[in-house]
Amino acid sequence: MSEGVEAVLYDGVSSRPIEARVSVREPNALVVEHGNERFTWPLEHTGLQWERTRDTLRISFGEFPRRVLIVRDPLFIRSFVLRMRYTGRQGVYDRLLGVARSGPVLFFLGVAVLLVASYVWLLPWAAEGVAMLMPRSVDQQLGAAAWGTMAPTLDEDTARSRTLQRFGDALQLSPDHPLTFHVVRDDQVNAFALPGGHIVVFTGILERMDRPEELAALLAHEGTHVQERHSTRMLMRQLASYVFLSLIIGDASAIAAVVAEHADNVRNLSYSRGLETDADRHGMERMHARGVDPEGMVGLLKLLQEEAVDLPAAMEFLSSHPLTEDRIAEAEDQAQRLGPVAAARPPLNTLFTALKQERP
Amino acid sequence: MELLTPQHRLAFKGKGGDLFAVLIVNWLLTMVTLGLYYPWAKVRRLKYSYEHTELDGHPFHFHGTGREMFIGFIKAVGLLVLLYGAFFGLAMLQEVWASVLGFLVLFGGLLLLLPLIIHGTYRYRMSRSSWRGIHFGYRGDRNELYRICLRDGLLTMVTLGIYGSWFTINLRNYVMSHVRWGSSQFAYKGDGLDFFLMNLKGYFLTLFTLGIYGFWWQKDLFHYYVDHLSWTFSDGRRLQFKGTATGGGFFGLIVTNVLLVIFTFGIGYAWAEVRTMRYILAHIAMVGDADLNNVAQTEQEHKGALAEELGDLMDIGIFL
Repeated sequence: MSEGVEAVLYDGVSSRPIEARVSVREPNALVVEHGNERFTWPLEHTGLQWERTRDTLRISFGEFPRRVLIVRDPLFIRSFVLRMRYTGRQGVYDRLLGVARSGPVLFFLGVAVLLVASYVWLLPWAAEGVAMLMPRSVDQQLGAAAWGTMAPTLDEDTARSRTLQRFGDALQLSPDHPLTFHVVRDDQVNAFALPGGHIVVFTGILERMDRPEELAALLAHEGTHVQERHSTRMLMRQLASYVFLSLIIGDASAIAAVVAEHADNVRNLSYSRGLETDADRHGMERMHARGVDPEGMVGLLKLLQEEAVDLPAAMEFLSSHPLTEDRIAEAEDQAQRLGPVAAARPPLNTLFTALKQERP
Repeated sequence: MELLTPQHRLAFKGKGGDLFAVLIVNWLLTMVTLGLYYPWAKVRRLKYSYEHTELDGHPFHFHGTGREMFIGFIKAVGLLVLLYGAFFGLAMLQEVWASVLGFLVLFGGLLLLLPLIIHGTYRYRMSRSSWRGIHFGYRGDRNELYRICLRDGLLTMVTLGIYGSWFTINLRNYVMSHVRWGSSQFAYKGDGLDFFLMNLKGYFLTLFTLGIYGFWWQKDLFHYYVDHLSWTFSDGRRLQFKGTATGGGFFGLIVTNVLLVIFTFGIGYAWAEVRTMRYILAHIAMVGDADLNNVAQTEQEHKGALAEELGDLMDIGIFL
């Protein structure tokens, strides 16, 4: 009479646990007996579901409210799971979990390597791909929105902006985005570009320039940021890694989140350094193509270096504008490589003198 | 003193290594699927917690499926995209009225969603939880919840947050008192003033003791949440919940957990989590004379996981 192993049955009607015995009988059915009752659950039935934890097997059967059987006999659980696996009812998940349980450390290391690899290579690649697929009008809208909030806080010299516009137009820097140039009264030795075409030059940097080639270099550098969509690409990369990190870390410890955030910042910084060198290089190519001596870039960089506050060497690694000898040396190298200018230089001198003279 | 001995005990039987394996596989699959696996991962994780939680040696069960969570997840993402889309779309117009309208749409929308999220999450989570084959259920009224949130939310704003204690407790009183397990019924009876005074005391003592009292404050909070909960059965008999945690206990738990997580660079998280669950559940007892064998199945199934996922995306701790 009492075949099989001990189990607890809940009938789904009342909370009373029922002591039962359970066994697997051929062909392929689960037999449950309690008191004088006995019923059979076909193992292939779609209404039969099972789940196991390390030492509990839970089998449920039928429509809501389902009858539930809890078995804790290790031998029964083993043979039941083997049988179900054999009949093909075990998914990828259980296999994966099985592997993870048998060698957690190795498995963890494997996953960690995968995570890092996809974070370092796959993710930026995919993000850039998406950024390049986005229409250029997105850049323009982003830039327009940023300019809209920024413009009221800047003291623009509209007369000089017009002159700078003519200077910039003569260079034909960005075939895909119309560039809008602004001269802003500010002593900072700096300039920046917004996505989609607004380029802002501070009077601080204008006043320290000696040659039109330096200004051409500056505009070519900033124009490259616009033309190559650096901001949008950067934004997509940051967005992607933010989403990725929050998915991976999810509800893990706050410490892991902080570590990841800092790692991410450092990575972004090194990326933006890459963008600066990129803008130097492409900018020089454009200058060269337009008949402007690319040596102007070297002059511009030297000028910036003189103005830069001396950073300790360790800080330079974290700086987005590495005004190091490296960048200058690279520009010098490239000027050599590009060789003498073939095309005729556009008339920049008068505009440059006008820009220098128009003092507020 | 027969009545004071605990009659029913909760326990957590999970192991750090096993939870770690579950989490690693979740991470892996979530990553490989670029996040689409997230709802399934969440279900795996919840199931692990439920199945290793036992009351009198009988495990709980979570019936939710990745599929229904995924549907909820997609809907929730869509809803949030819509709200944020409206916000940014209006902001793009660069008009003052549009910005104000966008702001109202976004924050008004999020605020109005809150009671809906609490209601929906409880309905979903309770109906998908069972013990001994009997499902839990939530029978609160959505409009009533709106009324409480609106009234107490306004009062909290007007009193610059002070009324927040009453808000928390009123919400908890309402929600927890509409949770059922089959034919039995839970009830929570807290008092806003008590809760406020306890937190006031906890705050200042923690400040004066440079944080040391924080562990005892934690104990007080735990006891406040547990001790006001009771469980009534259809024959009128009742179980009273009793917390047995101590400040020293919380101190040991939290300090070792923090060390555990730091010195393993976060890998020890699973073990810390298991230790927390073990401690918390081991210190909840149910005192009284009641027949747990005589509860009938009464609740229907509710499968919509939209609110659950929405709350998750908005990072709201729903479980009060």
